[in-house]
Amino acid sequence: MKDKDLTVWVNEFTKDLYKWAYYKTSSVQTAEDLVQETFLVAAQKMDSFKGDSSPKTWLFAILNHKIIDHYRKSVHKPLAMEANTISAFFDVDGSWQQEKRPKEWEDDETHLLDDSDFQKVLQKCLDALPEQWNMCVKLKFLTEKSGEEICQELGIAPTNYWQIVHRAKLQLRNCVENNWFKD
Amino acid sequence: MKKIMHILFLSCLKATELIEKKFHFKLSIKEKLQLKMHKMMCEACTKYDKQSSLLERGISKTLKNNYTDIEIDNLKLMIHKKIEQSK
Repeated sequence: MKDKDLTVWVNEFTKDLYKWAYYKTSSVQTAEDLVQETFLVAAQKMDSFKGDSSPKTWLFAILNHKIIDHYRKSVHKPLAMEANTISAFFDVDGSWQQEKRPKEWEDDETHLLDDSDFQKVLQKCLDALPEQWNMCVKLKFLTEKSGEEICQELGIAPTNYWQIVHRAKLQLRNCVENNWFKD
Repeated sequence: MKKIMHILFLSCLKATELIEKKFHFKLSIKEKLQLKMHKMMCEACTKYDKQSSLLERGISKTLKNNYTDIEIDNLKLMIHKKIEQSK
């Protein structure tokens, strides 16, 4: 009976679970892996599922644990701090290097966000970041949580977190400027 | 002179750090003041702040638009197979 339940659930809930996992991780591969793992855990724990909650709620709870676990592991990978990121942008006194100083973009920049070509450039520049940096700049939106909560949940020091974000954003801004405003 | 300025009004390195910090954490009153003073005198960091917050909104947007449809059915088959194997 239980085996049959699980088969039905796979057919019924895979799509929703996948969509959620994808929304939370923005990676096809990761989302697929997490959904598979979720069902494997469910298969092992079938006996402890008492039906107090709906199967869907139960599966989502397992998936959410998996997602947090995934963040936790990625964020604790050895840090590619690349000390030279800072010296590429600032001199020893902490002033902007001449060629890296932010230039004027446009008077009204907000319309850029509706420009699909601009979005493509931004996407390309995000993809060019080291994986961990990329994740850190997205975490706020993916988890919809405050910096404090993210750090607590992932077990990282706040200073560490926003210093990664700082380096990532310096690089990202520069990449967008060079690719979008090159003329 | 530059050193004294940096102690009072932050260097651009420190100012941009605070700009990024404020997207995620609440700044202290001292930090807020320092950043405000710095931006009053520094055009580059004022631009940085504006552009960086634009990018924040842009990042949030790329995540929302980015849904890719995969073969959910393939994924289902894969899961059925894995569950079989795990028995």
